[in-house]
Amino acid sequence: QHFRGRKNRCYKLAVRSVRRAFVKSTKARREKKRFLRALWITRIEAASLEHGLKYPAFISNLLKSQVELNRKMIADLAIYEPKTFKSLAALAQRRRQEGFLAALGDGKEPEGIFSRIVHRY
Amino acid sequence: VAKTSLTSPPWPEVELPDPVEEAKYHAEVVQKVNKMIATGQYGRLFAVVHFASKQWKITSEDLIMMDNVLEAECGDRIRMEKVLLVGADDFTLIGRPLLGKDLVRVEATVIEKTESWPKINMHFWKRHNYQRKKIIMNPQTVLRINTIEIFPCLS
Repeated sequence: QHFRGRKNRCYKLAVRSVRRAFVKSTKARREKKRFLRALWITRIEAASLEHGLKYPAFISNLLKSQVELNRKMIADLAIYEPKTFKSLAALAQRRRQEGFLAALGDGKEPEGIFSRIVHRY
Repeated sequence: VAKTSLTSPPWPEVELPDPVEEAKYHAEVVQKVNKMIATGQYGRLFAVVHFASKQWKITSEDLIMMDNVLEAECGDRIRMEKVLLVGADDFTLIGRPLLGKDLVRVEATVIEKTESWPKINMHFWKRHNYQRKKIIMNPQTVLRINTIEIFPCLS
């Protein structure tokens, strides 16, 4: 909004730089959304690491437990409502452990295999 | 069988608490929270509401501006459904994904219906004699959140 040098005094130079400013602002409006989302993601990652969870684990477990808060909200909650964020992290951790247990299933070996040890005779 | 690298899973073994005891503990907590809500021991309530395809974190006496038109006149009271989260100092109610309508009530009034500041959309290709300039003014509505109420009907 101030335009350095002769761009703020001379008409010809000012026309060129104002045109470039308009074009840059239109393109920046589209990039702003990407930039803000990356910012929210870094903030959520930092907050979840404080509670001992990594970002992909946190987000995937939250989605699997049917909580559809978007990243902007979770970042704002992590800043202004630390207790709520702690409860969300605990929910994600619990869902993660339940997922591990479900993946293990029974502790039996598959049938049809007589031994995993190879004897050399 | 000998222990290989694939006998035990790479994550540390965790045991979940007993489901029966867990259910008892959950029922206790729910009763406590119900009592707290019924006696009114909460301070400021905040809620996360899904409105106009965006999620907002709102409290009472809040101003919200959205970039579209609402089919309501100025001064109309609006009740917002689609509440995702409600919280106070000691407890939060997380919806999966939404909370019931008989649990939360969010009231708002329409205050203003204006247009945004004139935004300039410009495209320019150099050395090709191509420029387009368009001024866009989006209609905006301003809402004020009056109250957020919760009722003690948890289960």
